[in-house]
Amino acid sequence: MKSRTIRLLALLGAFALVLAACGGDGGDTTTSEAAAETTEAAPDTTEAAAETTTAEGGGETSDLGLPVVDPLDVDPAVDVLIAGSSTVFPLSTAVLSQWIDEGGPEYSIDSIGSGGGLERFCVEGASDIANASRAIEDDEIASCSETWGAEPIEIRVGSDALSLVISPGNYFAQELTLAEIATAFSTADAGGTWADVNPEFPAHPIQMFSPGADSGTFDYFNEIVFPEEYEAEEPSPILSSIAEIVGEDDNLTVQGVAEDGCTEGDLASTCAIGYFGYAYYQENSDVLQAVAVDGVAPSAETVDDNSYPISRPLFMYTAQAVIDAKPEVAQFVAYYLNNVNSLIGEVGYFPAPEADLQTAADNIAGAAGF
Amino acid sequence: MSLEAPPRPDQGLFPTDQEYDSLLGRRNRKAQFFKVFCLLMLTIAVVALATLLYTIVNDSFGLVAVVNQNDPDDVVASLGHDPETTTLNDLSYDELVGLLEANVSSGVGRRLERDQRFYEDRLVFESDEVWDEICSSNEPPAGCTRGPRNTADVFSLVQERVIVPDVIASYPLAQSIVNPEAFEQEVAAGFEAGRFGDYTADQASIEWRAWFNTTFLLAPASATPEIAGIRTAILGSVWLVVITVIFAVPVGVGAAIYLVEFAKPSRFNDFVQTNINNLAGVPSIIYGMLGLAILVRVLEPFTSGAIFTTGPAPSDNGRTVLSAGITLGLLTLPVVIISSQEALKAVPDSLRQAGLALGATRWQTVRSQILPVAMPGVLTGTILAVARAVGETAPLILVGAASFITADPTGPFSKFTALPIQIFQWTSFPQEEFRNIAAAASIALLILLLVLNAFAVILRNRYSRRIP
Amino acid sequence: MTPNDQVEVDRTPKSLLKQPRPGEMLIRGFLFICGAISIATTVGILYELGKESLLFFQDERVDFFEFITGTVWQPQGGAFGVWPLILGTLLISVIAMVVAVPIGLAAAIYLSEYASRRVRGFFKPVLEILVGIPTVVYGFFALTFMTPLLRSVLGSSVVGFFNVASAGVVVGILIVPLISSLAEDALSAVPDSLREGAYALGASKFEVSTRIVVPGALSGIAAGLVVAMSRAVGETMVVTLAAGAAPRNFTLGADSFFGYILNPFESAQAMTGYIAITASGDLAYNTIDYNSIFAIGLTLFFMTLGLNALSRRMVKRFREAYE
Repeated sequence: MKSRTIRLLALLGAFALVLAACGGDGGDTTTSEAAAETTEAAPDTTEAAAETTTAEGGGETSDLGLPVVDPLDVDPAVDVLIAGSSTVFPLSTAVLSQWIDEGGPEYSIDSIGSGGGLERFCVEGASDIANASRAIEDDEIASCSETWGAEPIEIRVGSDALSLVISPGNYFAQELTLAEIATAFSTADAGGTWADVNPEFPAHPIQMFSPGADSGTFDYFNEIVFPEEYEAEEPSPILSSIAEIVGEDDNLTVQGVAEDGCTEGDLASTCAIGYFGYAYYQENSDVLQAVAVDGVAPSAETVDDNSYPISRPLFMYTAQAVIDAKPEVAQFVAYYLNNVNSLIGEVGYFPAPEADLQTAADNIAGAAGF
Repeated sequence: MSLEAPPRPDQGLFPTDQEYDSLLGRRNRKAQFFKVFCLLMLTIAVVALATLLYTIVNDSFGLVAVVNQNDPDDVVASLGHDPETTTLNDLSYDELVGLLEANVSSGVGRRLERDQRFYEDRLVFESDEVWDEICSSNEPPAGCTRGPRNTADVFSLVQERVIVPDVIASYPLAQSIVNPEAFEQEVAAGFEAGRFGDYTADQASIEWRAWFNTTFLLAPASATPEIAGIRTAILGSVWLVVITVIFAVPVGVGAAIYLVEFAKPSRFNDFVQTNINNLAGVPSIIYGMLGLAILVRVLEPFTSGAIFTTGPAPSDNGRTVLSAGITLGLLTLPVVIISSQEALKAVPDSLRQAGLALGATRWQTVRSQILPVAMPGVLTGTILAVARAVGETAPLILVGAASFITADPTGPFSKFTALPIQIFQWTSFPQEEFRNIAAAASIALLILLLVLNAFAVILRNRYSRRIP
Repeated sequence: MTPNDQVEVDRTPKSLLKQPRPGEMLIRGFLFICGAISIATTVGILYELGKESLLFFQDERVDFFEFITGTVWQPQGGAFGVWPLILGTLLISVIAMVVAVPIGLAAAIYLSEYASRRVRGFFKPVLEILVGIPTVVYGFFALTFMTPLLRSVLGSSVVGFFNVASAGVVVGILIVPLISSLAEDALSAVPDSLREGAYALGASKFEVSTRIVVPGALSGIAAGLVVAMSRAVGETMVVTLAAGAAPRNFTLGADSFFGYILNPFESAQAMTGYIAITASGDLAYNTIDYNSIFAIGLTLFFMTLGLNALSRRMVKRFREAYE
């Protein structure tokens, strides 16, 4: 028995050695270069910020007036913590992937929701950048001011168009007005049909899919489609309707709507409608149709000039105190703004209006002293 | 003397032959039915497992429609060769490097060069002055000392960055084997519907792809599903399991030993027992909240490693593998305790009494007599705990696991991510290819689980024997 | 001269127990601390949940009585009755146990009594793989396999897109190894002498298994059942994905009891699902919706406590019948 135990222990020891060896190559930066960090983090005035940012870039500026940041020249000893919205997550991941590919330090992103991200940033002070798919609220601004000594800096990075979708077999609901959409999503009776939405529609049974009440998508949809209830802070009519509430995963809405079985000629077949961010429609445009809201279909142009009524802004928030302590945050944000429009199309969102992007650039330039 | 059966009393005491046969027959049938029922239940469980594995494997391999952003033939032609006779494989090293130079952004090129040079004698992307400067700094990049790249490496770089194969649609394994033509039709229909953006139907080719492959296991995370990998996640999961087991098994077995061997029956101990049973049922997300409140916030000096070093802390905050590992350890502790308790209770008292009779102390008896016999049960608890720790998502997100991270964890105070978190993230993305790599990551997780549990299972099989 | 009455040997045995053994004390101390960690965990959980729940209950929109008796959960509308969520959790857990107990116990009996040692050594870890499959995979399995299966068998008008039955069955599959492994351990630990005695008396394998071995292993089997039920109640990801995100609000008397309230083929959000979705959603921190998750967590904690106490009493009664 003893020799067997020794053998097994040896196996375990070998396994532990392999573990230690494998962990060794990736990020030795944290421990050894943490020492370098203390010497560099000491001067936390804007002088240091001006020093490190503009010099290496060669003085080039982008169209937004921001310096062209070279990720290879950013100090890898400083870690930047980014956390927040799961909607902005794919976009930030795309930018960060490119940043790392071009030699930038390996930051990380946590997808914990806009509320969670702003809480970690404003209340706990444990992150450097907060991603949000909604504008920051007043009490969050208040806690940010307390934690960071000043109001947070808002950086608009893009837009997401909420698309209403119907199945390919749906032959009548390609264009809906906001009022019709509101009626569709507030059907409270099990026997509700599309004829209740618009008397000219055939009386197919209606089925609605919606994300849950905690989701930013839900919140924004209600703000646009049910403005009176939203203003009065009453519960959304969707919650008391017969809608199927999906929860976090919009892929379920895709499935539910695409497979509703809506067929012309079979009035008993259910015809479903749902909504989610444009990226989900773009990926599934062969099994879904996008509804034109008030005659406007979601596209880059209609989102840019705001003619599509249900498009929501995407933001990042940071603070002056953060940038003073970590100039790398400003460098990353500058890189982000310079490169976001080339990546945003693939991710499935739309570029922010030029004016907003410029405002964001000016905000960060002012804070960092670019 | 005849050999006939002795005369039997007529009725009353013993059943007749027929009655006996029918009674026995009935009992045998019952026994047979029961055996079949039990076997059927076992089969159902195994079939359920097989179905689950099938759904995972189905998405991890299959046909894909690929569009090369730059067609290899066009690329070869642009260099002056005839695409009919020359392929990408035939290009020389210089030509390949030239392709990279022409197609890759300077930022990426410089980063590649700093990782490993292309030529011994000249630089491709960097200027000589800058190169000398960085090589003589405190932390020279790897490229300063490493030998130059080889053709195979540059070829794969060209594939990845010049040809850029983009998977536009994928097909499950079962259908790929049974009905591959349907996929071609689906892709054609997709092109007609305009689903694939600017690409045209003639650019697409259908090929076989194994989403679960060694590149996938060794590559770091990325926003592009074709090149994303799970190396960081695997390492994170392994670190988590190791910390969980180091914490939960000794503490759990210790608590079980205390409760079974040393504690006298009292209301307090009854209360502790109920408490443990109750903790087994607390949802994992609440342990996440506990971990966040206590381990990440209150115990930050400990979990960020600040109290272990005099210099700056290894981590900026308490969101480290250590916090998450202990949180998972607390989560799995009740199961380890309960199963160890049952294992200890099942050991016959005769062993304990024998030990005491020989003058051994309680602990000596436990250590040398009881524990080895109870080992299989303890190991079962460990196996179930490891399985739970490897598969948990919700508490890890609360305790600060990153959703996107490319730097490998190097110690207990590192930032980290874990396989279930990657799987969860990827399944919620709209692009279909993410579901394929989520399935491949699930396979990796199961293999990891098997490897981690193999040790305990072998030990368990070795120790388990029937008590006579 | 007899040595015996001259030599004064003190033969009174010194009490060996009084001999100080520091190693033993240390070990005992360490083991006690291990046990105490579980208490510390509970204290930590109660403190953390209680602190935040207090904030929730102190809000003027929340009435404690309504919380514990109300049957409508709609934070947006100010309705904070917890019963719809409890209903969801109970429905899923009951279905899960109904699925898992026969499968788990029967599989355990087969592996322990009928199977050869090699078969047992192989299938036991194979079943344990079921616990290790990521719960996200189970959630999608429920949606993409179980729900369509139920809909094709029972009709898509009967079975909703999200339903409790799929989630319950899948959670049941998930917890089968918890029952089968722990029960199998317990069954194997029953001494063979008991079995052999029964065989000697002419009992069949079925009779030995059910009347001798299972009662002898009852404690371990009960432990397995407790662990499994606790896991079913606490399972988060599967129920979040497959059971839907809408609480099943009902009114007693107005809604049909079996047609709606206990209908397993409609959606019903469970407590764990609610906590998971709200905690990771986009709501601002410290709103009443967010704080409600702590109150729900506390409720879940006490509910598990109640269920455990109940099962202990039942097991005790069962055991008394056999011993």
